[in-house]
Amino acid sequence: MRRLVAIVMGILREIADENAYARHLAAHSRPHSAEEWRRFSEERLRAKFARAKCC
Amino acid sequence: MKVLGYVFWAAVAATAAVCLGGIAILHGEHINSMWLVLAAACTYAIGYRFYAAFISARVMALNDKRATPAERLRNGHDFEPTNKWIVFGHHFAAIAGPGPLVGPVLAAQFGYLPGTLWIIIGAVLGGAVQDFVVLFASMRRDGKSLGQMAREEIGKVGGFIALVTVLIIMVILLAVVGLVVVNALKGSPWGTFTIAATMPIALFMGLYLRYMRPGKVLECSAIGFVLVIASIFGGRAVGESAAWAPVFTLGAMALAIAVIVYGYLASVLPVWLFLAPRDYLSTFVKLGVVLMLGVGILFARPELQLPAFTRFVDGTGPIFAGKIFPFCFITIACGAISGFHSLISSGTTPKMIAKETHAWPVGYGSMLLESFVAIMAMIAACVLQPGVYFAVNSPAGVVGATPAAAVATISSWGFPVTTADMATLAQNVGEQTLFYRTGGAPSLALGMAHIFAKSGGGAAVIGFWYHFAIMFEALFILTIIAAGTRVGRFMIEDLIGRAAGSEKKSGWTGVLVTSAAIVAAWGYFLIQGVRDPLGGINSLWPLFGIANQLLAGIALCVATTIILKMHGARYMWITCVPLVWLVTVTFTAAWQKIFSPLPSLGFLAQADKLAQGPQTPAVETLIFNARLDAVVCGILMVLVAIVLADSLRVWVGILRGTREAEIREAPFVLSRLQAEEL
Repeated sequence: MRRLVAIVMGILREIADENAYARHLAAHSRPHSAEEWRRFSEERLRAKFARAKCC
Repeated sequence: MKVLGYVFWAAVAATAAVCLGGIAILHGEHINSMWLVLAAACTYAIGYRFYAAFISARVMALNDKRATPAERLRNGHDFEPTNKWIVFGHHFAAIAGPGPLVGPVLAAQFGYLPGTLWIIIGAVLGGAVQDFVVLFASMRRDGKSLGQMAREEIGKVGGFIALVTVLIIMVILLAVVGLVVVNALKGSPWGTFTIAATMPIALFMGLYLRYMRPGKVLECSAIGFVLVIASIFGGRAVGESAAWAPVFTLGAMALAIAVIVYGYLASVLPVWLFLAPRDYLSTFVKLGVVLMLGVGILFARPELQLPAFTRFVDGTGPIFAGKIFPFCFITIACGAISGFHSLISSGTTPKMIAKETHAWPVGYGSMLLESFVAIMAMIAACVLQPGVYFAVNSPAGVVGATPAAAVATISSWGFPVTTADMATLAQNVGEQTLFYRTGGAPSLALGMAHIFAKSGGGAAVIGFWYHFAIMFEALFILTIIAAGTRVGRFMIEDLIGRAAGSEKKSGWTGVLVTSAAIVAAWGYFLIQGVRDPLGGINSLWPLFGIANQLLAGIALCVATTIILKMHGARYMWITCVPLVWLVTVTFTAAWQKIFSPLPSLGFLAQADKLAQGPQTPAVETLIFNARLDAVVCGILMVLVAIVLADSLRVWVGILRGTREAEIREAPFVLSRLQAEEL
């Protein structure tokens, strides 16, 4: 059950880009801050919304 | 243990056979929806366990010792080895759009059987295979896109045509889904208010995420969801208010213009402010509703009211014209096979696959789940009384301009319905009328509301569930319009950049102009659909289906080329059989849409018929539109015929030995990724 919850939360966090943000912080060895989130999300969203969304 | 396994799979296969046989044989009586659920689930299980396993082992030779691009090119951004079930959920969320919900509802005009069989068989042998092979091919090629693979494996022409085909699909898709929303909201103050309220909610969410709680996307989405639910209750109050109801009671043209303005603003506004929060919210709502619908069907186990076949198998259907072959297979694209999925399978997903064998559940399994969503949509449509289903989905131009005329026409078809039935139903769901609500969304919402209300709450809550379903459909369709307009803008910039030989980024003027160009393109078709006396869906949905299936044709050409290079002709049939089927279906449908002598079916015949009547500016516009649709259809056929001819040239060369079968996979690198890292 705990594993199922972990997977569901993992899916939700992946869709919400929260996992990607955590990876971004880890990759650049930076702490979370409002400025860092804005920098990450702008780059992430630019790439995300350049791709076609499915029908 | 092995014997138990044989017994288990034999039982699953027997259940699939009995249920498929049951839904095919039990004509003339109402059957329970569980027959469809079991037939689909057991067939998917067999396909997943045996056919996909065969493709994995024999054709792809998936090897977990081989490092995937996620491991080799790991960068903490796009390339990241991820738990397979998380990739599965992410991939499913990306491929699940309005197509598998709307297509089956429209195709139910033939009865429940043709669409159901196509959804199940098409997904197992076609759609899931396409998604799986394209994902595998991209994974072995450092996550390359379909266009890049088409260029490298077939030729430069293929890559360019893939780009142009996608752009045309985008234009038709955005117009047709825009029309679905317009038809769902026209004359509905409750629905219009609810959807209008999602705009300020999205802006609030954007500001919340940017300045108040940066990075807290799940928290922000939860707040957004609560506000959206509150807006449904607010919508009810607005609909009952003598002062506010007229403000939010809009006609089809006013709504179409509102959708066009919305698309333009969403394309030019900063993405973090509006589009991104909407996208997060609509994705979560979509997944939640799909889950709820599945649970609701299992709980309510409703009986299907539509027959296995209706009289409209002869091609005289009121929702769209054309016989089962080829139009059932065009109308249901995304639930059975969708070319658009190949863009997702060669997009983000291959960059997240940690082990090669994960492509099996992600590529093949996700498509089976999408197909199951289509089965649920088919069930939701078929639980409605046939008379109600046709009264909601038929345009005034076919059944008559007054409710009395409409019910008389529909009852004469053998599907009895009265104006009193329709008035009671409309009152129960808080609408002024449910006649002429073409597009599929209102009838899907009615079916969903019926299932949810039967699961708990009864008739007292049917109005809430109807508007909840409308909110869910409109929320994520409008998000697709916003995102699609933006993507279309980038594609136009890309095409202009290629033509000018420049990769320079557009400035603000460029953004405004290219946004206007893409909005004008789909907006034109949307207005065309609103003005169409046959309801618009009759012409636009088949065009979209043809375009989407032709893109699947391109994806299967690429997949076949790759399999041919790997194994020679031995396993070509895996992708060639669905390719031949799709080419036959789409080219037949496109040919009939252009050249059929029936005005209800053929664009040119429709234009000729209109040209013989009195000429007014409105009629001249309709004539032009019909000819334009014929030209678009013709262009799509020519583009895909070129890719097919190019692919055949490559295949013949390889088979004759005059062309080198160069496999362009990334070199083998031993994986060092440990299971516990995932």
